[in-house]
Amino acid sequence: MASESAGATDAVTRHRRVLDWLSESLWTVVVGSFAVVFVAGLTQVSFGAFTMTLVEAWQAVFNPDVIFDPQAWRHFVFGSEFPVLGTELPEMNRRSLVVWNIRMPRVVVAVLVGMNLAVSGAIFQAVTRNELASPFILGVSSGAGLMILLTLVVFPMLSAVLPLIAAAGGMAAFLIVYAIAWKNGTSPVRLVLAGVIVSTVFGSLQTGLFFFADDIGVVQSAIAWTTGSLTGTGWEQVRTALPWTIIALFLSLVSARQLNVLLLGESTASSLGMNVEKVRFLLSAVAVLAAAASIAVAGIVGFVGLIVPHMVRNVVGSDYRKLVVGCLFAGPALMVAADVGARLGLSVLLGSDGQMPVGIVTGLLGGPYFLYLMRKQERMGEI
Amino acid sequence: MSHEGPESMDRGRPVSVSTTGDASEFEGEDLVIGYPSAEEPVVDGERIRVEPGAVTALVGPNGSGKSTLLKGLATQLSLDGGAVHLDGRDVHTLDTKELARKLGLLSQENVSPNSLSVEKLVEHGRYPHRGFFDGLSAEDRDAIERAIDLAGVDHLRDRQVGSLSGGQKQLVWIAMVLAQETDVLLLDEPTTFLDLHHQLEVMEIVETLRDESDITVVVVLHDIDQAARYADYMVALEDGSIYARGPPEEVVTEELLADVFEIEATVEATDWGPDVRPIRPLHEDAPTGSPSDSQE
Repeated sequence: MASESAGATDAVTRHRRVLDWLSESLWTVVVGSFAVVFVAGLTQVSFGAFTMTLVEAWQAVFNPDVIFDPQAWRHFVFGSEFPVLGTELPEMNRRSLVVWNIRMPRVVVAVLVGMNLAVSGAIFQAVTRNELASPFILGVSSGAGLMILLTLVVFPMLSAVLPLIAAAGGMAAFLIVYAIAWKNGTSPVRLVLAGVIVSTVFGSLQTGLFFFADDIGVVQSAIAWTTGSLTGTGWEQVRTALPWTIIALFLSLVSARQLNVLLLGESTASSLGMNVEKVRFLLSAVAVLAAAASIAVAGIVGFVGLIVPHMVRNVVGSDYRKLVVGCLFAGPALMVAADVGARLGLSVLLGSDGQMPVGIVTGLLGGPYFLYLMRKQERMGEI
Repeated sequence: MSHEGPESMDRGRPVSVSTTGDASEFEGEDLVIGYPSAEEPVVDGERIRVEPGAVTALVGPNGSGKSTLLKGLATQLSLDGGAVHLDGRDVHTLDTKELARKLGLLSQENVSPNSLSVEKLVEHGRYPHRGFFDGLSAEDRDAIERAIDLAGVDHLRDRQVGSLSGGQKQLVWIAMVLAQETDVLLLDEPTTFLDLHHQLEVMEIVETLRDESDITVVVVLHDIDQAARYADYMVALEDGSIYARGPPEEVVTEELLADVFEIEATVEATDWGPDVRPIRPLHEDAPTGSPSDSQE
């Protein structure tokens, strides 16, 4: 029927498809977010307790001896003890050391956390077909939070592996929620309800544990972990999060079409031959992996996973092939910008050298922007 | 898509559409279908054999179990008893994608993101034909073009689904199941809630499928007139049981309308099948009517 003409128009349609995917709106998100990350990141590495002038700082950032030194990068990415690829940090001047070994990794961690949370939230919004879904909707944050408190208060000897325990607690809570919701299969509503109930129970236990903390330092540490904080993160945290981030983000990118089909509703997806239960569980697992990777390095950073997918959807539409890519850029933009506020905000406002948990700033920064979008757009929040 | 349609027939009915042997055999035996929440099954022990390559309409009043039967046939509901066979194989044992390449279902209500473009929605019909990493093949693109063409939605292809009228949306969804290119197509009340123009558009597509392809179509219709006009065979359900089956001339009678639909009506044979003229509803004390309970 149409096969002869299809051959001729093949190149044209393929061209059109690529253009369509790399649409103008997606470019806007990518370029805009990249600019925010760049400016915020540069701010972050230029200021801090170790004073240097802007020029000195930027010279250190763009120091070719570091940027083009494979040994330095091998140290950043693999550390000193990794077999074969790992190596010691090469000699560099003091300013480069501060910028590249102390301030820069914090920006990189923020980028990874932002990517993970935004993509995780986007996946959960499709899986539950719920606009209010976030990475933590299926109990992940409550499980992680409870384990953090348990570790800090009851088992302080385990605090060296706290990040891993937190991530594992989040995943365990997700499995509990799934098991509770399962009855001849699940449904988005059952999953969300089970998630809310499990979160409430774990949340109560977590709050209860605060009573047993007798040291203010423990309480502050617990608050930093449960609100999300990037204070003191270095290349080691990058190394912790990077492999899981790569796996989770790769899987979400290639699953974009499955997510699109899930958006057509359960009955359509299954009549198209999708094994809905299996796909839903596997996609949730990918999203939980991404969330757990970010919890392990930054604690429970709220809000990013809820609002970034909405912001991106608002610009590029609900096609997940664009949405996931957009989230990969917009998530870091919010996270890095918020961390500037968390790290430098108090010293600018109050002159103190304290730092806030970044989770507080993501809410303060993201919330008003989200409200502004909501006032401006009629159809905000639709999946 | 092959084109060995029975072209010599003027209106295509009630002559059994002689199948070329390519059309799929589709039947259900001893079907017991219910919902997990209800004790009693809605359909209890029915047998249905669909004429290959023809259009079969399921009709019946609200709650008679026609949609339930269709969902059971399409594996959307698991069977409490019996089996559904497609070309001799039990559909409930087929791999989900393999089944979706043979059996398509258009549900009564469909949801999609508003910003999705029509072309992208139709593209999803190719889901069962694509592997996890596969892009669109030339074959996929041809199928999409054919489906868009057949459903007559070419002028809408770049529109967003959210901007379409109810009737246009239905045509686009039909294009999506057509792109699936299945041997058997199940349509659940495709004309309900549509204006007359779009009802006729939808039925015209069904007519084209009957005349120009081997696709076996089973369609649930609310409107018995429409069923009588477009279907080769009709199956009338009452309270989950099959009350009558056969060509429209045999099924659509004044007696059936009184028993199953509880209306008094006259039926007149015309060139395009029996024409039903409803007169008034029959009430419970009427001699032939049985009390109906709605069992949605």
